[in-house]
Amino acid sequence: MNTARAALLLDQDQRTHWQLAWLSTVDHKRIGILYMLTALVFFAFGGVEALFMRLQLAIPNNKFLHPDTFNTLFTMHGTTMIFLVIMPMMFGFANYFVPLMIGARDMAFPRLNAFSFWLLPFGGLLLHFSVLAGGAPAMGWFAYAPLNETPYSSQLGVDYWAVALLVMGIGSVGTAINLAVTVLCLRTPGMTLRRLPLFVWINFVNAFIVILAIPVLNAALVMLLIDRRFGGHFFLPSADGNGGSAIMWQHIFWAFGHPEVYILILPAFGIVSEIIPVFSRKPIFGYEFVAGSSVAIGLLSFAVWSHHMFTVGLGFALNVFFSAASMLIAIPTGVKVLNWSVTLFRGRIRFTTAMLFCIAFLVQFLCGGLTGISHAIVPLDWQTKNSYFLVAHFHFVAGGGSLFAILAGLYYWFPKMTGVMLSEKLGKWTFALMTLGFNMTFLIQHVLGLAGMPRRVYTYPDLPGWGWMNMVSTIGAFLMAVATLLLLWNICVSLLNGKPAGENPWNAWTLEWATSSPPLHENFYELPPIRGRRPLWDFANPDRPDPPVGGGAADIVAPEKNKVSVTAFITSEVGFFGVLILAFLFYNAGSHPGPNAKDLDLLKTGIFSLCLFASSFTIWRSETAQHRGNLRAMTGWLALTILLGGIFLVGQGLEYWGLFKSGVVVGTNLFATTFFTLTGFHGIHVTVGLIALLVVLGLALAGDFKARPSPALAAVGIYWHFVDVVWVFVLCVVYILPRLR
Amino acid sequence: MNTQQFLLSGWTWNPAVLALCAAALAAYLAAFRLHPRFGYFVAALATILIALVSPLEALADGYLFSAHMTQHILLLLIAPALLLLSLPRALSLPGFLRKFAHPLAGWAAGVGAMWIWHAPTLCNSAAASKPVFALQTVSLLAMGGAFWWQVLARRESERLAPMTAVLYLASSCVACSVLGIIFTFSPVTVCSIYAHPADSLGMLATIRGAWGMTPEKDQQLGGLLMWVPMCLVYLGAVFAQLARWFGEPAPAAALTRENA
Repeated sequence: MNTARAALLLDQDQRTHWQLAWLSTVDHKRIGILYMLTALVFFAFGGVEALFMRLQLAIPNNKFLHPDTFNTLFTMHGTTMIFLVIMPMMFGFANYFVPLMIGARDMAFPRLNAFSFWLLPFGGLLLHFSVLAGGAPAMGWFAYAPLNETPYSSQLGVDYWAVALLVMGIGSVGTAINLAVTVLCLRTPGMTLRRLPLFVWINFVNAFIVILAIPVLNAALVMLLIDRRFGGHFFLPSADGNGGSAIMWQHIFWAFGHPEVYILILPAFGIVSEIIPVFSRKPIFGYEFVAGSSVAIGLLSFAVWSHHMFTVGLGFALNVFFSAASMLIAIPTGVKVLNWSVTLFRGRIRFTTAMLFCIAFLVQFLCGGLTGISHAIVPLDWQTKNSYFLVAHFHFVAGGGSLFAILAGLYYWFPKMTGVMLSEKLGKWTFALMTLGFNMTFLIQHVLGLAGMPRRVYTYPDLPGWGWMNMVSTIGAFLMAVATLLLLWNICVSLLNGKPAGENPWNAWTLEWATSSPPLHENFYELPPIRGRRPLWDFANPDRPDPPVGGGAADIVAPEKNKVSVTAFITSEVGFFGVLILAFLFYNAGSHPGPNAKDLDLLKTGIFSLCLFASSFTIWRSETAQHRGNLRAMTGWLALTILLGGIFLVGQGLEYWGLFKSGVVVGTNLFATTFFTLTGFHGIHVTVGLIALLVVLGLALAGDFKARPSPALAAVGIYWHFVDVVWVFVLCVVYILPRLR
Repeated sequence: MNTQQFLLSGWTWNPAVLALCAAALAAYLAAFRLHPRFGYFVAALATILIALVSPLEALADGYLFSAHMTQHILLLLIAPALLLLSLPRALSLPGFLRKFAHPLAGWAAGVGAMWIWHAPTLCNSAAASKPVFALQTVSLLAMGGAFWWQVLARRESERLAPMTAVLYLASSCVACSVLGIIFTFSPVTVCSIYAHPADSLGMLATIRGAWGMTPEKDQQLGGLLMWVPMCLVYLGAVFAQLARWFGEPAPAAALTRENA
């Protein structure tokens, strides 16, 4: 290392405090590992919960667990595994390897990254604190209404569950925005979007799914909390027909829930798309198709949620359309399976543990995909949905798919993260036990389901075949537990005296292998030139490099990251407000007794709205002034913007006060519930915008913008315009539209 | 009238439509002769005729909201796209049209056509009054043309960059899906005229009886048509754009444009 480069790196002594402070770290690698460790802890929770359930189900008519305990375990197992194990694990891999693979030094917003991560353990603690606060949730991870409502779940468990998911959801959106911005803005020269490693490409697509899907869940959760805490009426039907709609919960939940299953599986696709080529010693077959089919899956995932609701009885037309649309998803996933299989075909395959898990992934995911298609066929779905057949299908995709890919990724990247190899011998034992245990647990559940065993039951009668099949399933679950312990043992032993890994133990081709193991704090000393999709192959084989992709070493014109991040953020907000606005339309379509939208004072609100709309103009003037370098005008227009926003809030406050005085509160009727929710959340957003504007104003007055123009004003400006645009819709839907009828 | 009789006699041989189609055919042949892209033109004319002359039009004319929606999709999404594809060479837009060839205008035209024409008043008057219906048909074709111009203009420089086009199409899909979702789940009737057909052809008994199509089911089907198949057209175009992006020879800093 020459001295000039050494000077760029921080002095080791200066970093000692940093070495100790995992708690305050903003390094993407440490945050990635923190994500994985958190996931591991909760995996232990979720796994033990599963084992208790399997013990209860091992024999017919078992009285080992109380039915309520079983329901609690089964709710916590689902919630934990999805939100606290698979998602964090995938975020951990993405956090660690996306910046490395694109040759970046860190994520785009390191502190946002740390914040997003710490929301995860906080959410996990909230969820589990419900056990101490008088009873964990027991309504299933899908929390169907009206079981999730106060009359049926009166303890605090559901509230903790909702708040925990809300907290973790905000963290997930933060991480997703960070990942998307990192990929868009921080790629090293030469790393064009068409040369991205597939892991990065797929995580990029996945980030958009997270940004669009999670806010839909957040909207459902706040509606649920308003029902439970403020006596709202969203999801609780009433006898007089003026109550809410329980099916609405299912629609919103699955509008999130179906994209969610792709949030769980897409990063898994990314992992195997990296590992299979390396251990087949071939470039991936049909890169473009793997990348493109990910986009297809991402887009289709939002258009098929109703297939989770065939058994609700939505009607013939809905069933037909969603059956057809759901079957379409088989095309892009089938394309991917073909790509991986052809990559294996005639490859010089090295059966490392990572590769074995990838092959198992292929087989299990294919089976899970095929049973998935069977659920797109409506009559078949009616027969099997409420049986163990669906449990088997889901676990084949989430376990055989996501979990096996995670294990493959762990064996593949452990040397990079720690500098030592995991023991291959122990690894192969883990693999054998895991796959055997997995198939014992879940393969037989297909048969159980077809034999009629319903899911979500705490025990079952001694019908022919049910007893021994459940016993096999339970033994399988314990084999998986042994395999997990073996994996932990392997990690401990290898960390203590594993074989040193070196920079590139697998002769892989992507940039994370172009640095030391573990990577230094700054990630890279220097990067090889990037002309194609396998820079390290080109570097190692200058005589026979890959054909270059996308012409010469195109430089990247990175967009401004603050603007991109705000744009991504308001995209997610569109999903949130979209649900609230649609809910308002739906619930106020009919007429209900009591106060309704026609009682609102359109004139007064119209005047205050003009203030808000005018503030969009003033902030634009402020930006223009900043652009011209006129700081006085900038601060003046900015102060005027804040004043106008403040007046709007006062107007809203007056309207609320008037309603409260006449006895209209959230719980009065459906109109009041939807009105206060929609306008209230808009008001919160205006308040947040005002705080951001005040911060910018404070910085401007302190002279921060004198030296150079800051992107902060433009970024806050985009958000402020968005808040105004939302109000245009709210004004139309809440104040104007009801008067037209 | 039963279904078979209806399929035979339900054709509305609207002379204005037929004359305009014949004129367009003659104009195309005069301008470009027999060109390999002539097939697209024939397909476009066939789409327009199915929408405006076939029994579909008879159903859309006051009987079924879903038939009206099918007509809408054919005229807004399918026919203009085929017409643009049928052009054998780049056309220079006249000056006043060039002003409208902005991505935001195209997006607003493609999405706005669906939203505006389904405002209850306009939806009803288009089904009740012939001049309004003619205006609607022309505006749908024009707005569809403005929408697809951004994606299908023959000159590469007049088209959106592939990744921008993906965003353009995907967001259109979302915007139309939202309207489709509203129709599908709306507890109230959107176009009241379809709830109480005038029954000029004596088809109502067959529609309500043999077809089992109640006004509620009809509106739900119409919403679903807009939600799912229409969105799939946009998504199909998204994949064509991805193929174009991956097949592009020159390196494109494509994603930078829409965020800059």
